[in-house]
Amino acid sequence: MYGGDEVSAIVLDLGSHSCKAGYAGEDAPKAVLPSLVGTMDPMYLPQEPEQPAKMGVDGDNNNAVDPKTGKPVEAAAKKSTRKLYTGVQAMGYRRDHMEVVPALKDGLINDWEVVESIWDHTLRERLMIDPKEHPMLLAEPSFNTPQHREKIVELMFEKYQIPALFLAKNAVLTSFASGRATSLVVDCGGGSTTVAAVHDGYVLQKAIVRSPIGGEFLTDCMLKALEGRGIAIRPRYSFKRKEVRPGEFELTNVDFPNTTESYRRYIQRAIAADVKESVCRVPDGLFEESSYANIPTTPYELPDGQTIEVGADRFKIPDLMFNPALVQTIPGMEKFTTEAGASVKGLPQMVIESINKCDVDIRRELFSSILLAGGTAAMQQMKERLEKDLIEEAPQAARVKVLASGNAIERRFSVWIGGSILASLGSFQQMWLSKSEFEEHGASYVHRKCP
Amino acid sequence: MSWQAYVDEHLMLEISPGHWLSSAAIIGQDGNVWAQSANFPELQGDEIDKVVKGFVDAAQISMHGLYLGGLKYMVIQGEPGQVLRGKKGTGGVCIKKTNSALVIGLYEDPTKPGECNIVVERLGDYLYEQGI
Repeated sequence: MYGGDEVSAIVLDLGSHSCKAGYAGEDAPKAVLPSLVGTMDPMYLPQEPEQPAKMGVDGDNNNAVDPKTGKPVEAAAKKSTRKLYTGVQAMGYRRDHMEVVPALKDGLINDWEVVESIWDHTLRERLMIDPKEHPMLLAEPSFNTPQHREKIVELMFEKYQIPALFLAKNAVLTSFASGRATSLVVDCGGGSTTVAAVHDGYVLQKAIVRSPIGGEFLTDCMLKALEGRGIAIRPRYSFKRKEVRPGEFELTNVDFPNTTESYRRYIQRAIAADVKESVCRVPDGLFEESSYANIPTTPYELPDGQTIEVGADRFKIPDLMFNPALVQTIPGMEKFTTEAGASVKGLPQMVIESINKCDVDIRRELFSSILLAGGTAAMQQMKERLEKDLIEEAPQAARVKVLASGNAIERRFSVWIGGSILASLGSFQQMWLSKSEFEEHGASYVHRKCP
Repeated sequence: MSWQAYVDEHLMLEISPGHWLSSAAIIGQDGNVWAQSANFPELQGDEIDKVVKGFVDAAQISMHGLYLGGLKYMVIQGEPGQVLRGKKGTGGVCIKKTNSALVIGLYEDPTKPGECNIVVERLGDYLYEQGI
């Protein structure tokens, strides 16, 4: 049993879009970085005299410095042969042949090496802590598999040597953040949307409903919609903008033929995501092309100086969450439904489906405490529209109430905030899975201690 | 060792200072009670039958609730085919399946779900290894 309360626990939430980390007890994560890394095949690495480009493992090479980034080169050749660039700064710098690889796929950890790299960077370089000294509370997807859980436990105890660990499900943490033990959590995240019912602080496994439509999907649609209208989003590295006279700018194109497609899309997506976050609003009712044909447009200035006018797309993109079939009307995205297989449901239908899978006795309570969480839920009018749609679709007798914190930051980080609250509770301190318990019983002990 | 001794010494022990299971039992999968603690609820009708079926497919008990002694528990994450866990307010239940029996532990606040799981599953693992 771990009972230390002098040292703060660290709360770590690795999502599909971003990784959030910080100290328990604080009201926002200190470190937020993308859940992606840049990878480079060793054959493209510059031939520097100090560092071996060939990945023959050199254990004593720990002090070599990569001249480009000025950061120490890790003896990265443990298992793989590729070099990883992690963090906002490292990824913001364009390199030839650098591919962008996500850590998660379909909401679950896919590439363990990438995850290790992200955790290393977050703990050592962003938070600047020694993991040996801090218990870790990790947020995990509500549908996490036992194998993934055990792997996380092993990695944390064996590599990072942490003193204690707890794995908490995302939906439970969001519920905590709002002060409720029972609620229906609608988590509109970057990679996907998950609806999960939490009862007395525990997820009802059979009632989890998922959809691949998340923030990143909406960003892709925005990108395609803009391209369809003839607007090309120029990645920042592809042009130079100089002020030749006060107020007048001259644009020159810079060509980098060796930039990978994945990197170009990563940068374009960042811009499209900003467009999406600035101009999009959820429409009050179902989106119809005809009714929005003549609405006034909103201007947006792209980094290259181009000002674009966004009209009906402002409302069409967010409506994809409620009416996924709309994706067919976006040029370039038609093949989406065939890939997804079975028809993808809209948000209100997912909520109803999840509640119907729950025990009859708690359905009423769930309808009246629907929590909205996640970055995508921070879109304007999301709460009002969801409430309106649900009141129409739910059974007559049910009282529908959708709750969301007014603050966009709190919605985006609600899982992390819930973790911060949980790890600070006095009654939680006896629930940690300690290092000695791990050594005595093995990784599978996590299923008992962190149910 | 008699079944009663298993219940008294291996289930109804002090797990951590001040924390005990509120009641426990070892019950055959056919419904016969092999041993139980003093205040273990009186099981009704086909509750055990439903639990045994729940190990094969948890859909029914997830939707309608896990009943023990007439009290309803909400099914939360267990381990398919091996462990069923239920929650009721601040307390709950952990049921571990062995070859021919079910080890059941009920807990209330302040005992933690993790503590109940550890005690019940530990005994269940042991009985399983003994071929019971």
